[in-house]
Amino acid sequence: MERILDHPVLTFERDKKVVFFFEDLEMEAYEGETIAAALHANGIRDLRRTPREERPQGLFCAIGKCSSCLMEVDGKPNVRTCITPVRSGMRVRRQKGRGEIGG
Amino acid sequence: MDNLDLLVVGGGPAGLCGAIEAARSGLNVLVVDEGVVPGGQLVKQTHKFFGSEEFYASVRGMKIATKLLDDLGSYENARIVTESSVLAIYEEGIPVLDRRSDSVTLYRPSSILFATGASEKFLQFDNNDLPGVYGAGAVQTLMNQYGILPGNTVLMIGSGNIGLIVSYQLLQAGVEVKAIIEASGRIGGYEVHAEKVKRSGVPILLKHTITKALGRDSVIGAVISALDEKWKPVPGTEREIVVDTICIAVGLSPSVELIAQAGGEIKYVAELGGYVPVRDYNQKSTVGNIYVAGDASGIEEATTAMIEGRIAGLNIVKDITGSCDIDRLNSLHQNLDKFRSGPTSSKTRTGLKKIGSTITEIEYTEGEVNRPESFRGKLRPLIECYEAIPCNPCETSCPTGAIKVGKNINNVPVIDYSLCTGCGICATKCPGLAIFMCQERDDGTALLGIPYEFLPLPSRGDSVFAFGRNGEVVCSADVERVVKSPNKTNLIYIRVPEELVGRIRHLGTVVSRSRDLVCRCEEVTVEQVRKAIRDGYKDFEELRRYLRISMGPCGGRTCRLNTLMILSREIGIPVEELSPGMMRPPAIPVTFGSIERSGAENSDEE
Repeated sequence: MERILDHPVLTFERDKKVVFFFEDLEMEAYEGETIAAALHANGIRDLRRTPREERPQGLFCAIGKCSSCLMEVDGKPNVRTCITPVRSGMRVRRQKGRGEIGG
Repeated sequence: MDNLDLLVVGGGPAGLCGAIEAARSGLNVLVVDEGVVPGGQLVKQTHKFFGSEEFYASVRGMKIATKLLDDLGSYENARIVTESSVLAIYEEGIPVLDRRSDSVTLYRPSSILFATGASEKFLQFDNNDLPGVYGAGAVQTLMNQYGILPGNTVLMIGSGNIGLIVSYQLLQAGVEVKAIIEASGRIGGYEVHAEKVKRSGVPILLKHTITKALGRDSVIGAVISALDEKWKPVPGTEREIVVDTICIAVGLSPSVELIAQAGGEIKYVAELGGYVPVRDYNQKSTVGNIYVAGDASGIEEATTAMIEGRIAGLNIVKDITGSCDIDRLNSLHQNLDKFRSGPTSSKTRTGLKKIGSTITEIEYTEGEVNRPESFRGKLRPLIECYEAIPCNPCETSCPTGAIKVGKNINNVPVIDYSLCTGCGICATKCPGLAIFMCQERDDGTALLGIPYEFLPLPSRGDSVFAFGRNGEVVCSADVERVVKSPNKTNLIYIRVPEELVGRIRHLGTVVSRSRDLVCRCEEVTVEQVRKAIRDGYKDFEELRRYLRISMGPCGGRTCRLNTLMILSREIGIPVEELSPGMMRPPAIPVTFGSIERSGAENSDEE
């Protein structure tokens, strides 16, 4: 869950660092990364609690198809964090259940 | 917006190709893509594509995405919106949500191309929703698009091409792949992909399944089990594998939701991945102005998706303007049929038949067709491509025309060694990394060129481990030449004993761990011993005197055998044929005083 620095085929362009918050903890990301990717780079895989059994769930498809990565972003629930870019100052929280309007 | 000719849903290979064809003929085109960047799944494909050069074979997927996006970008009448999603298909129009502004725009296009791709199939086992259980595509996205490791140790479920390719990509990123498990009795993907992971040391366990993911908040392991002939886990065969990531690669299913909403007929066709839209030979759905292409119209792969997209695009041009480039359309159809005519496409053909498209298998060649042994001593490629797969970059890249695949792209390549100059280009182009270079020498050794896509890249003069076809260490070898290739498939030439040429297929760099001790007393490291051997100290006695190995208080009890084994590996002589060197007194540490106070038991003195 760390960032790859040297790769035999790829080069990763990481330009601008941004700071965001996960559960009020300050975290670093690079501009252009999705919220879910940035959380993984910070060691966070557990992204939400399911509505019925409060099971931890995280990323499954990472391309916006499965909705397993729904989180609360800046007070808004049900954000597909795998296809939403992280932005400076964003406040991201584990979503509990189905989320509430107006968070 | 009312003057839109074509709305393309999905900016992956199929959607972009359809959009390019329509834009080229002057149609107004809008591509709507959900992702942060367009290109679909191409953006995370780091492997070289199979197929023919005309359709980007031997080009790495992410580079194809750039090419297609550049191409589409050259038309002013086409545009792409990202982070945008089609919400529904209504008679009044098509609402598209821009997620950035959280606002919806209604479009009324003359025609629609659905290139919506596919979603990962989800396998059922205990705790399968635990964080750290990922679809194979998710692993690729994290690792190849964002450069973030999904974990440190992975269990891969499924040995189809995706499972094999993602396993190889995990290895390239430095992740340990503990095993690939496969429920059926045979490997699902191409042989050449399987060989790549096997020689890197990853076991492929057939007739095995996962029964449980272990962990509370995140994966800490998996329980796997053997399967009987009725696909039931065999009691008593369960075992735990310690991994922090479980990757599911058991297939994809087409994303047909919007097509069904638009009134297109869908049908369940297992061979094509699930529910697929019914469509004709020209990719037209059962609704007049709606076309489908790519994985959304049946799971295949990116090359066929691109051709399908182009076929759909040309037909849309024909619908709207009354004509299109018919020659080009026919040629695309011919290429697509050829591509699907081989044995590895039999499932696709069965599936397509169920929705009314018949493609016949054409005759192909397979197996070992080349005879490199008759050109012993010449630097030449050993082509280990025995399965009839649709691919021909070896043929198109050969500067002397020595390699021929022939009219059927599924044929295995045939080489005329008398025309070959030993340049090695084919070995760097082969998407399956199935071509090795070889030249036998008079001294009983041979030069072996191995395609290599890992870090660190060895340098000339380095000593490396030579691995066999199952990742086993065969011997150590010196690197004679490193040919860096612009496409990052480098060729590493190593010198090996000639009799091992058929066994060695991979190499690994010797990781220099300076605290890796051989001799505890004198603190001599493995690397020091190896270096001494390479510097010419090829006898235990010489090493002993040079490095002080076995001259410490233990008298060689701890280090002698280890040193001899390193020497054996380095110079290729079995331990039993090496001299173990002198075993000098005293056998244990003693004080001078004890000697001074010594006396003989049966002494005449005193």
